[in-house]
Amino acid sequence: MDRSKQNKYSSNEKKDNGDGGSVLNGHFDGMVKRATGGPQAPGAESAPHRSTSAVMESWKEERTRSLEDNEMSLPSLAAAYTTILRGLGENPQRQGLLKTPWRAATAMQFFTKGYQEKIIDVLNDAIFDEDHDEMVIVKDIDMFSMCEHHLVPIFGRVHIGYLPNKRVLGLSKLARIVEIYSRRLQVQERLTKQIAVAITEALQPTGVGVVIEATHMCMVMRGVQKMNSKTVTSTMLGNFREDPKTRDEFLRLIKS
Amino acid sequence: MSTKVGDIVEEFQSERITDNKMSTVHRHHEISRKESEDECRLPALEAAYTDILRHLGEDTDREGLLRTPLRAAKAIQFLTKGYHETIDDILNNAIFDEDHEEMVIVKDIDMFSLCEHHMVPFFGKVHIGYIPNKKVVGLSKLARIVEIFSRRLQVQERLTKQIATGISEALQPKGVAVVIEAAHMCMVMRGVQKMNSRTVTSAMLGVYLEDPKTREEFLYLSQRT
Repeated sequence: MDRSKQNKYSSNEKKDNGDGGSVLNGHFDGMVKRATGGPQAPGAESAPHRSTSAVMESWKEERTRSLEDNEMSLPSLAAAYTTILRGLGENPQRQGLLKTPWRAATAMQFFTKGYQEKIIDVLNDAIFDEDHDEMVIVKDIDMFSMCEHHLVPIFGRVHIGYLPNKRVLGLSKLARIVEIYSRRLQVQERLTKQIAVAITEALQPTGVGVVIEATHMCMVMRGVQKMNSKTVTSTMLGNFREDPKTRDEFLRLIKS
Repeated sequence: MSTKVGDIVEEFQSERITDNKMSTVHRHHEISRKESEDECRLPALEAAYTDILRHLGEDTDREGLLRTPLRAAKAIQFLTKGYHETIDDILNNAIFDEDHEEMVIVKDIDMFSLCEHHMVPFFGKVHIGYIPNKKVVGLSKLARIVEIFSRRLQVQERLTKQIATGISEALQPKGVAVVIEAAHMCMVMRGVQKMNSRTVTSAMLGVYLEDPKTREEFLYLSQRT
């Protein structure tokens, strides 16, 4: 049963893959060029810009996980955690650790719940036509992710700015986009890009800027053990990339 | 022969329950997890992590995850390396006779531990104070004692007490005080998701327990930024 499930996951991901480029994070890698083959979501046909329809499709990607999958995986995850406890020399039968495998498994599923969600579910209703073309910024969005290399938390803040092009997004939806992509096994660079691209695909704004400043526990708790180090990544698209003044305004406004 | 094995097994079991017994550390029961054991156990840990990745819905063949099981296994062995170490190992040579009976405080010791309930990190600062009784300890040894006990699957209350008791048993000082202020990722990243909450625990032994003024001096000096 497990093997077939794995096949299902891999085939899901291969399906999303357009030109045979490597599939990262189970989902698209930046601007995926989807081949004309493969299933076309019904909404894609009605995409207003033909040239961006390929890019639009990556936004409607498949979920790799469902709530039922979660339920079914829980015993195996708990068993894996029990093995880990034993492998560390602990006694899984002592009182404090009795239910730890289940708690740890549920916690890990929560930390990767981004795999269960699709952008389109979260965004569908909250795009509004508004004659506004000044910068909109939502800053200091707390972000928690998992390092895909060490399975150790990453946490920090995300600052998002965009220049609407007649369409604005519900503000909390920006934070929800952050949640979907951050609650996965991530690399900070990719996370930044995914957020920026998702907003671009949803709204077609004039420009998007995303800055993430985060602390990586893999650097703080182990390895080099540098307590105060922070990693800052940014993605600028559209006007934010081309016009230095826009970018400047954004960066100045997010500085606290 | 069988009784001998039985004894060893029993002692092994009691060592394993050490942390549960009244939250104090019995140094003569502590066992080190041998470094060589770590190597032997790595493949099992790796396999467990590969399982976990698959059941989370990830593709274990993608580039970023190829060596993740190995890295994660080594990481968690590092994060629980406190099981390797005993107080005796690190303290034996650094206790000095010194005619000093005033408070000694080492504060703002960064501490990183793993919550034993969710296996998610919690981290913060430890402040330690003690009043020597003719014997002082090398200052870094206080931080090393924190490392030994924090690099384990822990509960903050027990960690505080183990540090205090460990110092107490090693030095027989007039009093020991330990205060830990930490953020628990299990509360911040999941569950109630309260970003700014901090948990503070303290353990006061000896004169710190009996004399409120001593305790107050310690709390004032350690909390000052």
